[in-house]
Amino acid sequence: MSDATVNDTTKTTGEPLGEAYLDKFPAEAKVVRSALYSSFLMLALGGLFGVIQTLHRTDFLRIMESETYYTVLTAHGVFLVIAFTIFFLVGVFTWGVTTSLDRGVEDIRFTWVWLGTMSAGAVMSAVAILAGFTDSIDMSADVLFTFYAPMQAHPLFYIGLTVFVVGTWLAGADWFRSWWAWKKENPGERIPLPTFMVLTTMIMWYVATIGVATAILAFLLPWSLGLIDSVNPTLTRTLFWFFGHPVVYFWLMPAYMMWYVLLPKISGGKLFSDPLARVVFVLFLLLSTPVGIHHQYLDPGISEGFKFIAMTNTMFLLLPSLLTAFTVVASMEHGARQRGGTGRIGWLKALPWRDPVFAGMALAGLMFAAGGFSGMINAGMNINYLVHNTLWVPGHFHLTVGTAVALTFMAATYWFLPQLTGKKLWGRSVALVQVVLWFIGMTFMTNAMHRAGLLGIPRRTAEPQYDGFEFEAGVGSVAELDAQIALGSIFLTLSLVLFFAVVIGTALGSRSDDIPANGYAEALSGPEDSPKILDNLKLWFGLAVVLVIIAYTFPLLSIIERGGLFGPDITAFPQSIDIVSMAWVTAEQYAVDAFTSASEATQAAINGVLR
Amino acid sequence: MRISKEALLIVLAFTVPFVVELRTVLAWFHIEVTVFESLLLGAALIVAILVWALFPQDGSRDTDASGSS
Ligand code: HEM
Ligand SMILES: [Cu+2]
Repeated sequence: MSDATVNDTTKTTGEPLGEAYLDKFPAEAKVVRSALYSSFLMLALGGLFGVIQTLHRTDFLRIMESETYYTVLTAHGVFLVIAFTIFFLVGVFTWGVTTSLDRGVEDIRFTWVWLGTMSAGAVMSAVAILAGFTDSIDMSADVLFTFYAPMQAHPLFYIGLTVFVVGTWLAGADWFRSWWAWKKENPGERIPLPTFMVLTTMIMWYVATIGVATAILAFLLPWSLGLIDSVNPTLTRTLFWFFGHPVVYFWLMPAYMMWYVLLPKISGGKLFSDPLARVVFVLFLLLSTPVGIHHQYLDPGISEGFKFIAMTNTMFLLLPSLLTAFTVVASMEHGARQRGGTGRIGWLKALPWRDPVFAGMALAGLMFAAGGFSGMINAGMNINYLVHNTLWVPGHFHLTVGTAVALTFMAATYWFLPQLTGKKLWGRSVALVQVVLWFIGMTFMTNAMHRAGLLGIPRRTAEPQYDGFEFEAGVGSVAELDAQIALGSIFLTLSLVLFFAVVIGTALGSRSDDIPANGYAEALSGPEDSPKILDNLKLWFGLAVVLVIIAYTFPLLSIIERGGLFGPDITAFPQSIDIVSMAWVTAEQYAVDAFTSASEATQAAINGVLR
Repeated sequence: MRISKEALLIVLAFTVPFVVELRTVLAWFHIEVTVFESLLLGAALIVAILVWALFPQDGSRDTDASGSS
């Protein structure tokens, strides 16, 4: 194989020079740019809180009181997984729809309205969260990104979230409108792939957000306003996870979209199969909502049977991800062979590794495979008990959302920025180092988190060390694991600094007319090969709703029957009812006694097992 | 250079998870390696890769058309 192919950069970014997105859609480019910049702001804040909390809980650097930990953790979670991801994806979706339908949005004012709505919501929630840092404002929202009862936030937090979600609903309406207009002018034509992906993702989102909208509007918001006295925690948790699982696909599907429509192009080839990509998105639409109960394996008040059904559904959900792995790798191989790659493994060398867009996405995909494996462990009802609420779980999702999604978004940014600004990417090699650093940082951090979880070290605590009890590592020591986690977080922070350097460097640059053309990958097997029924969005929407009804009616009914709509008189955390707290203290005393006597035995057992 | 600078960077990145995990894997076979030893091992591996990458087997192949963009 000739190395010259590897080094040929013009190939990596594709086509001869042509029209950049900005030239064709100047007004839309501005909206997309604003969405991306909002998302980067959230990434910066979230990342900062990430490293603060990591160094705190590993006891390397403590610049805050442990009581503040939940404010930091909430900000980290909400800013990153709700705001960073969703602001980014609405930008990318707008790009995908306008590019693939080859038409601007129907009314750019409406587009600004939804982006403005989302921003207003984000600001409200952020204010409520950040107010937790000061005592001078009587407001806080330390409820973590899984904001279910009995944790209670200031009403502004819930109102902000609602406004934000309404913004995304309007955004979806905008894209559907574009599609309807296009359909009128192009009767009988297949929906272009990126638009198909956007629409299926949005249908899933509409179905999924019913759960969270109900939880907030019917229960949490009235409760935090003092209109109702209590809620049924199992009910609000179940409604939360109704949304809480599909939301992970709301982050992931845009990343998949980029793996399908950008990655093959950047590898120098074509998408392996357009029909398969459509099947994958339809499967996600159908399967991602009726599985939320798999987050509640350890919740009391939901019978084992419903949990078992959720587990079975979850395992089916592996299918579209495995199909994606196959299609994307096949497309990359096709690209590599187009570039002169040969051999069974040798073709890997012909991939454009020097291109940060490619390297970032490829590394993200690879880590996603690892995340898939730990995800299978989480999904297994019995083995989940071993890792539930341990550091394993953040280990898992820093591979999925924290890398597969976040790294793909950062890598894609290096492709989008020139399209959106008309400026050349500043610091290509810096960008390459950035994606590699993220990969290394996450390797350290998540590997140690998974292992720490297996030892039972809990997540979501500033003080994972306990008096009179020592966690024992199977290999090495707990101190080493902590060091790995802290080291990883420092790499990640450096990586973020480089990312912002590239973004700012590019934004400050001057216009260039040397920008690669806007576009996306063609397919080896195109839309004409896919059965017509795949484009029948009404059918898939209907089926998705039916599956949700089947999966959720009975669990919800039985939860309401047992606890009542407004619950067995649960008040907000922190608890203040005397009887309850007295019973609690007594129980705790018993627990402590039992624990002390059991811990020696446990320790002996652990030593025995690990030896 | 036997491979491009960028490919070298990627190869080095891949050695990181390899070295990190190696210790756990070896422990499985009852071979205990300390942190220090695995750091040494990692360093040795990286030096080996660098030597392999930087010294071409014959001088004729100057591949570095890259020069960076
Ligand atoms: C600078 C990079 C990052 C560092 C150092 C970091 C570190 C951490 C740590 C140590 C935890 C666990 C804290 C605990 O349970 O006590 C955590 C939680 C979390 N991280 Fe990150 N993280 C980073 C980036 C990200 C990214 C990019 C995302 C998503 C896009 C993300 C999403 C989350 C979420 C959702 C949680 C769970 C919050 C909760 O339990 O409520 N993190 N992070
Ligand atoms: Cu889930």
